[in-house]
Amino acid sequence: MNRYIPIFLVFLLAVFLSIIIGPAQLNADILQLRLSRVILGIFAGGVLAFCGGILQGLFGNPLVEPYTLGSASGAALGGSVGMLIFGTISPLFAFFGALGVGFFVFTIARIEGGLLRDRLILAGVVMSFLCSSLVMIIMVMGGRELYEILYLLMGYLGVVINSTNRLMIILMIVLSGILLLYLYQYYRELDIISQGMETAAGLGIDIQKLSIIIFLTTALLIGITVSIVGAIGFVGLIVPHISKLIFGPKHLKNLPASFLLGATFLLLADTIARVITVYELPVGVVTSLVGVPFFIYLYRRQ
Amino acid sequence: MFSKAVKAVCIGCVVLILITCIVHNRCEGPAPHIGFKIVSLSPAMTEIVFALGAAQDLVGVTTFCNYPEQAKKIYKIGDFSNPSLERIVGRKPDLVIVNLPEQMRIKRQLEKLNINIFISSPRTLEDIYDEIIKIGRILKKEQAADSLVNYMKMHISRVDKPVLPVPKYIEGNAVEGSSKKRVYIELAPKPLVTIGAPSFLNELLEMAGAENIFADLVKDYPVVPQEEVIKRNPDVIIVLHPEKITDRLGWRKITAIKNNAVYTTLNQDHLMRPGPRLVIGFKELKEIIDE
Repeated sequence: MNRYIPIFLVFLLAVFLSIIIGPAQLNADILQLRLSRVILGIFAGGVLAFCGGILQGLFGNPLVEPYTLGSASGAALGGSVGMLIFGTISPLFAFFGALGVGFFVFTIARIEGGLLRDRLILAGVVMSFLCSSLVMIIMVMGGRELYEILYLLMGYLGVVINSTNRLMIILMIVLSGILLLYLYQYYRELDIISQGMETAAGLGIDIQKLSIIIFLTTALLIGITVSIVGAIGFVGLIVPHISKLIFGPKHLKNLPASFLLGATFLLLADTIARVITVYELPVGVVTSLVGVPFFIYLYRRQ
Repeated sequence: MFSKAVKAVCIGCVVLILITCIVHNRCEGPAPHIGFKIVSLSPAMTEIVFALGAAQDLVGVTTFCNYPEQAKKIYKIGDFSNPSLERIVGRKPDLVIVNLPEQMRIKRQLEKLNINIFISSPRTLEDIYDEIIKIGRILKKEQAADSLVNYMKMHISRVDKPVLPVPKYIEGNAVEGSSKKRVYIELAPKPLVTIGAPSFLNELLEMAGAENIFADLVKDYPVVPQEEVIKRNPDVIIVLHPEKITDRLGWRKITAIKNNAVYTTLNQDHLMRPGPRLVIGFKELKEIIDE
């Protein structure tokens, strides 16, 4: 349990850094702005990493994450479609995009009386590709919306918060918290499933039902995240691995650690994104730029 | 089961072919055109061609070409960012006006087909004037082009006001000793897109006697963070999109918002289109800055 202490300290450091570092001098208004950015960072990083961790546990596949299952791309597609129709990225559209693609993936992977876990991943990757090309079409067709879709695809935390979207964002974050806690209660089942499907089935765990619950809930979470900060990549894939390196395979410990590490990672990436240029750089660019070498180093050291 | 699927595919194909035929027939253009034929892929250039009195030469424009009113009736070859090569070629143009860098792809395709192109890619006011003169020469409307440029130069000229002492700001980073109003122009809210140094809008602002707060950025349409806008603390904010900006988190202490100097009613086409209507845009801009 005491391994949490250094992780939490690093997290606090990341929060501190993202509050004090920035182009403008710190005053009450700037503080407000940076705090909102920090909250969005903790929310997005945490949710993405947590969902990645839980999906990797469920499907026993290290490549599974919100992206490879199609949810993130579906949300991005939904958001783009919403933008094409209403001129603004509507969370509702992103959410239905994530759910819609999730539903498709399910239909493809379904067989008589069950769900093929391998096929689920394959279907997710295939649907991801489909979504990407559809988003591309929208990007080519749209003129001025280009920037907006680009930033939706890469994700950025500098979202403008005003009286119209403030309440919605708060509600969405609270809802995400509840959904995360709801998912967390399945940690024991996930431990058993990762040890082997037969054992799990023998112990009376309804794997199909659990898969559906987890899959739909994560799709919802990803839809919410993408609609607010865009589809930030890489966090959901890498952070759970790091968390498992430190905390081992038990989900009771590594899921909350994934949340903390994801939040830390995204906050640090965003701080870098804010410092290196005067422009607003999509944080997704930095997450992969910084994350990949770090991840390679970590794995080579093993 | 199998035959059912085959049937469905066949019916689907037939329906598709029928739809294509119908749509294609409806898209057949107007009667054949005699004389020089131009397709304009640039809304600003369409306006310029109209202003030069060569509108009868236009045989194709984009759906974005909405001014003057008659331009709407000209055959549409697609929209600004996605013009259709087939429709352009189908008009058998003698000249296609291409806008760079946005239409790089279509430019290459046209070059392969050996179609004459005129490249419009103005960054400064001087570029705009040059292009008007050039297109005027091609259309044999040299005189009209000269007088259009003179007209624009006359109306878009540097304001030489006596330098007035500026009232000191109690807080904020307002520069002392400069009487220029510092302006932030927002083109899009998600993310924030503004104008940098290499854009004619920046030049217009300077000529109107104001200063663009992002004049130091070398990109024409940069994406900027909110914090940077707050730090640079503009005296005037011009919003060229429909979203409300005064209630943003952390923005309330910006001088422009405190002083109610946020303008949302300007017509984007007057300011963003490098054509004759810049004269109107400039006048509107000056009214705001002189207020």
